[in-house]
Amino acid sequence: MLLVTLIILIGLLALSIPVAAGLGILGLSLSAIYSKLPLSLAMGEIAWGTSNNFLLVAIPFFVLLGEILLRSGMAERMYNALVLWVPWLPGGLMHSNIVACAMFAATSGSSVATAATIGTVALNEVEKRGYSERLFLGTIAAGGTLGILIPPSINMIVYGVLTDTSIPKLYLAGFIPGVILATLFSLTVLVVCLIRPALGGKPTVSTWQQRIEALPDLLPPLIIFFAVIGSIYAGLATATESAALGVIAALAIAAWNRRLTMNALLAALEGTMRTNAMIMAILLAAYFLNFVITSIGLTGQVNHLITSLGLSPTELLIVVVIFYLILGMFMETLSMMVATVPIITPIMVKAGFDSIWFGIIIIILMELAMITPPVGINLYVVQGLRKRGKIDDVIIGALPFVLTMLLMVLVLSIWPQIALWLPRFAAGG
Amino acid sequence: MEGVITGVRRFTRWGLWFGGALILAAAIVIGIDVVMRKFFTASIGGADELAGYSLAIGTAWGLGAALVDRAHIRIDSLYVLFPRKLRLVLDVAALTLFVAFFGIMAWYGLGVLEQSWTSGSRSQSALEIPTVIPQLLWMLGLLGFVIVGVLLLLYALQLGLRGDLNGMGRAIGTRSAEEEIEDEIRDLESRRDGRVGG
Repeated sequence: MLLVTLIILIGLLALSIPVAAGLGILGLSLSAIYSKLPLSLAMGEIAWGTSNNFLLVAIPFFVLLGEILLRSGMAERMYNALVLWVPWLPGGLMHSNIVACAMFAATSGSSVATAATIGTVALNEVEKRGYSERLFLGTIAAGGTLGILIPPSINMIVYGVLTDTSIPKLYLAGFIPGVILATLFSLTVLVVCLIRPALGGKPTVSTWQQRIEALPDLLPPLIIFFAVIGSIYAGLATATESAALGVIAALAIAAWNRRLTMNALLAALEGTMRTNAMIMAILLAAYFLNFVITSIGLTGQVNHLITSLGLSPTELLIVVVIFYLILGMFMETLSMMVATVPIITPIMVKAGFDSIWFGIIIIILMELAMITPPVGINLYVVQGLRKRGKIDDVIIGALPFVLTMLLMVLVLSIWPQIALWLPRFAAGG
Repeated sequence: MEGVITGVRRFTRWGLWFGGALILAAAIVIGIDVVMRKFFTASIGGADELAGYSLAIGTAWGLGAALVDRAHIRIDSLYVLFPRKLRLVLDVAALTLFVAFFGIMAWYGLGVLEQSWTSGSRSQSALEIPTVIPQLLWMLGLLGFVIVGVLLLLYALQLGLRGDLNGMGRAIGTRSAEEEIEDEIRDLESRRDGRVGG
């Protein structure tokens, strides 16, 4: 049963059948082969029930929030202010890139949006100041991935919905690891630049007056962050409601910067609903597939198989990390999560791992998948913004950060409290 | 057929705007609801329910646009290595299976709609909306999607039979990473220059 499933799934996906159709057709096939009752009878209920799930409404809200922010002029101002504050360290502007990505990540639920937005602004600077282009590109590709680790995060919502885990707790759990990972990225730049000072570029000079004057430009991201994250923990709003508040705050900032035209709004809505349809198509098919594989007993069979291997929890975790590392080279992250998380998470929880902690591990592994070739979406985003040279430059530039991310997985495995302390603290114990 | 496909594109664009307007309205209604709860200890009641309907309807009406704009994710690691004719065969298979699966889903969805109609069921919330209303709008979107999908398939096959393989690839092939990024950059640049547009 497991073998047949894998053959059909890999066959369909390798033949470039759309992921949503591939998962759905797999569900229909498994139902036809292994089930006495046609499970497709439940399809209508599943389709309607999933389509109007209030938790999932957060997805189009966050996509819309990102689409509005991209058009709001916020990122340019924020980056220009950060350039005045950060670059006295060896590595200069590359630290600004990472801080800018981390700050933007705190308003954005998507890594592609983060890399694209910060990349557009930052790449103007690389030639002016003689940086090692490769490492500079790497900071944007890798820094951008913070978009899904620092809350809010579309991938965390998907994980939360697929595994019945609290999304507010996942957000809290991602916060400290996000800050630590950003710091580790900066340290990576520092170390590389101390070993090879030539890569560091010319430092910029700025006066305290300039710095203070630029401070107000750092406010808008903070406003969005507090609207979205603050409202959850002040007990004002649920995860989905907080996303709606974020949309309203983004509209206000765009209006303040005089960027909120009718054309901009229509373009933002178009982009949002197209992306939303793509994500929801995969989720709808995945829900049906999950219903089928549970009904025919496949989940139980996989569980049994893993248990019979007799791996210790640590060995199991190592196997899972290697599995995602390899899969992540070839698959896009959302499809990968939807196809694997409902099966792997219960196994990990049964082995004694915390489902919130494992959610954060999965998110970091997804970040890794975004900068590992040949299929690493952030590599393509950065290369695309640059418009010249070879993609190899971005791949090589991002390589040190692959190691940093693996280090982060190790750190989290040794000290799970890094992720779990904040959600427990917030719960009052 | 060119005229038909132009009409299809226009229709799917309207679908995006319709769904987008629903989602935007849902965000604003929820925002008002949160503020009212905090400061007036009153609630609109059912804002979450309406937002759920917006998602269902918006998704159904957006599926067609994502199909025409080739936004549905396909894993093309192997695909790009294949000769062109094989790629076009796979494109046709991909489109057919996609439309077929969501067509089947729509067919069973019709059963849900029928049941709501005969039982006259209403939503659990204070709004007590007859569930037929949102389900009907949802179903119209899904049916629209199936029609869009079939027309797109016919259009692509016609181009193929005429020997216009480039046009066929542009209509239903995968968006190569390059093409996708080009779009993104054009979009970002137009934003930066203040000529905002899609």
